[in-house]
Amino acid sequence: MTIDKFIRRLTSLGLAITLFIFIAAYSIIGTVLPQGLQREFYIESYPSLGSIITTLQFDQVYSSWIFRILLFLFIVNLSGCTLRILPGQLKKMNKDHFPKPKLDGDNLRAENMDLQKFRGILEKKRYAIVEDEKGFKASKHRIGNIGSSVTHLGIIIIILGSFVGNIFAQEGFFNMLPGDIKGFPEYGFSLRLDDFRLGFRDNGTVDQYYSDVTVLRPGGEQFGDTMWVNNPLKVDKVDFFQTSYGWASSLSILGPDGDEENGLLRNGESYFYQPGHLTVYLYGYFPNMTLTSQGEPLTMTEQELNPYYAVILYEFGNHVASEILEPGQELQYKDYTLIFQDSELYTGITYRRDFGYIFVMLGSFLMTLGLIFSFYFYPKHIQVEENSIRTITRQNTWGFDYQVKQMVQQSTGKEE
Amino acid sequence: MDLVYFEELMFTLAFGGYTLSAVVFFVFVAMKKDKVGKAAIGLTLFGFGIHTVAIILRVIESGRLPFTNQFEFATSFAWGIVLCYLVLHFAYRFTGVGAFVMPIAFLVMGYASMLPKEIKPLMPALQSGWLYLHVGTAVISYGSFAVAAGLAAMYIIGERQKATGDGRTVLPKSEVCDYLSYRVIAFGYLMLTLVIVTGAIWAKYAWSRYWAWDPKETWSLITWLIYSVYIHLRFNRGWKGKPAAWFAVIGFISVIFTFIGVNNILPSIHSYR
Ligand code: HEM
Repeated sequence: MTIDKFIRRLTSLGLAITLFIFIAAYSIIGTVLPQGLQREFYIESYPSLGSIITTLQFDQVYSSWIFRILLFLFIVNLSGCTLRILPGQLKKMNKDHFPKPKLDGDNLRAENMDLQKFRGILEKKRYAIVEDEKGFKASKHRIGNIGSSVTHLGIIIIILGSFVGNIFAQEGFFNMLPGDIKGFPEYGFSLRLDDFRLGFRDNGTVDQYYSDVTVLRPGGEQFGDTMWVNNPLKVDKVDFFQTSYGWASSLSILGPDGDEENGLLRNGESYFYQPGHLTVYLYGYFPNMTLTSQGEPLTMTEQELNPYYAVILYEFGNHVASEILEPGQELQYKDYTLIFQDSELYTGITYRRDFGYIFVMLGSFLMTLGLIFSFYFYPKHIQVEENSIRTITRQNTWGFDYQVKQMVQQSTGKEE
Repeated sequence: MDLVYFEELMFTLAFGGYTLSAVVFFVFVAMKKDKVGKAAIGLTLFGFGIHTVAIILRVIESGRLPFTNQFEFATSFAWGIVLCYLVLHFAYRFTGVGAFVMPIAFLVMGYASMLPKEIKPLMPALQSGWLYLHVGTAVISYGSFAVAAGLAAMYIIGERQKATGDGRTVLPKSEVCDYLSYRVIAFGYLMLTLVIVTGAIWAKYAWSRYWAWDPKETWSLITWLIYSVYIHLRFNRGWKGKPAAWFAVIGFISVIFTFIGVNNILPSIHSYR
């Protein structure tokens, strides 16, 4: 294969369509198979296919090498193809260019039409008209020629922008209680959570989560803001997103000698108490508790109307007690006293810094603009001679003929 | 008076209107009588008007556009299909197309009628203006793809009739179905592009990531890729006729799967619960 031929293959539409199909097929696998789990899961769940799945990285389709290679080939293909077609398209943008009508195209000329009137209609519709020896040529929407290239460019920008953006993106997740300060030395500011609030509906369900924060800068400069779901906070180039919330409850353990240990537990967390070899597991804090028909505790709302703690106690790893406690209620085990109280809401915040987004937006804009050019501002040419009217367009041959026929009708003088 | 009661009544009437219109369209195609065609269009218009009232009632009850759960999207989807069909009808007056589009609207309405209709408050992630742009463009896009699939089915059947030599037909010329199907897909494709872009912007605001390969996102991309192949084959390889028509049908199956299949089969943060 010569280099020339290789390049032609690499930039061909045939390869593009093959890639479309592979990318789609590979993506489908990613939506059907659970992603990102342990190797063992696949080996156990799909005994005969497990090794194929992990070898071909079907367990992490979208970050797999195969997927990246497909996308890389796609970018090369699309860029190459666009570079190849662009010069021709630019030439067609030129006013002097007028394509040849198809030989077998219909002649739309009507017997009794008035060519002058027809020309007037075309002019009113903003066709550019050029005289020639046999009649005239009308053209409109030359911009449509580059529609596909604008779209292609947009897609290239989206893929490259998101790829490079993801390489450099920084992100993370953290929890905060009111009063906490989280420092971001790398960005030169800190975030203080002043308050975290739930917005309730009439029926007690949560409508919205609000984090009131203050941004602190080293110079003492500060400003406050509130974020909620769908209303992120932007500080310099970092975005903060209200993501989750939960309850943190304080646990006090009193020993026989009056010594005291304190811990802060979220639901599902445990506290190890060395002196008694006790593990205190907070199954959950239920601010408005009810019991299911199976006797499981459940909270009806997040309002603290009927608060209880479900606590499980282990000694040397063996289960010794399961209790439902009121706030402040003492749980005695041997010489030890456990108390849960003062539950507080904490907020969960995601942060992300990603300049790729700007490129994705720019690319999306170009992609959409290009589509509009291609589909609605497609090049329209009409060649008018003494005995014939012929249309030339690639995009919408039937529809354009239909429009021109209507204009021809109007210039027979029968209408209007 | 209870708005909910009227809404359900209007919905049911609209469903009935669409069902009847689909039947009458079939009769029209079989009997080839202009009057029957007019009646079918009249029934479609009636169904559409009542359906619009049902949707407006729901908007009044809930204080927002009906885009937020499976039922609401299904009813809007059916509405979008009929809207796109009517626009096409009044632009070109090909009455027969209804015989292929209205059954799709009927099926989507039927699906909607089986879903729970209660109005629930919006979960925080859905409380965004992007919701309306995102789902609004989806309604129009999916509606167009449905109409395009109807046109394609009509092309396939028209060709079959030609082959069997049944000359007299009220269906528009096959070539016209073929072209229109392409144009309608081009429009749906532009709208689908906007669905994906607005979805990405919204995801950025709500979840910090503009794209997360969630099954719903991925399937909308797959649908988009299928129609991308269609557009290129058509524009560059001069594909038309039967293969293109089958392709339009496959694209629409992907649309339906993205809408119904992903919600019910695949795990996703997008599936409305
Ligand atoms: C998902 C990615 C792509 C999108 C959204 C896209 C979009 C488009 C659009 C809208 C058109 C105009 C079609 C029309 O007017 O009906 C077009 C044309 C075209 N596309 Fe793509 N395209 C994509 C990828 C590719 C790739 C990878 C190739 C590589 C070979 C390619 C090659 C072409 C060619 C050769 C044309 C015809 C341009 C002309 O002759 O004016 N496209 N594309």
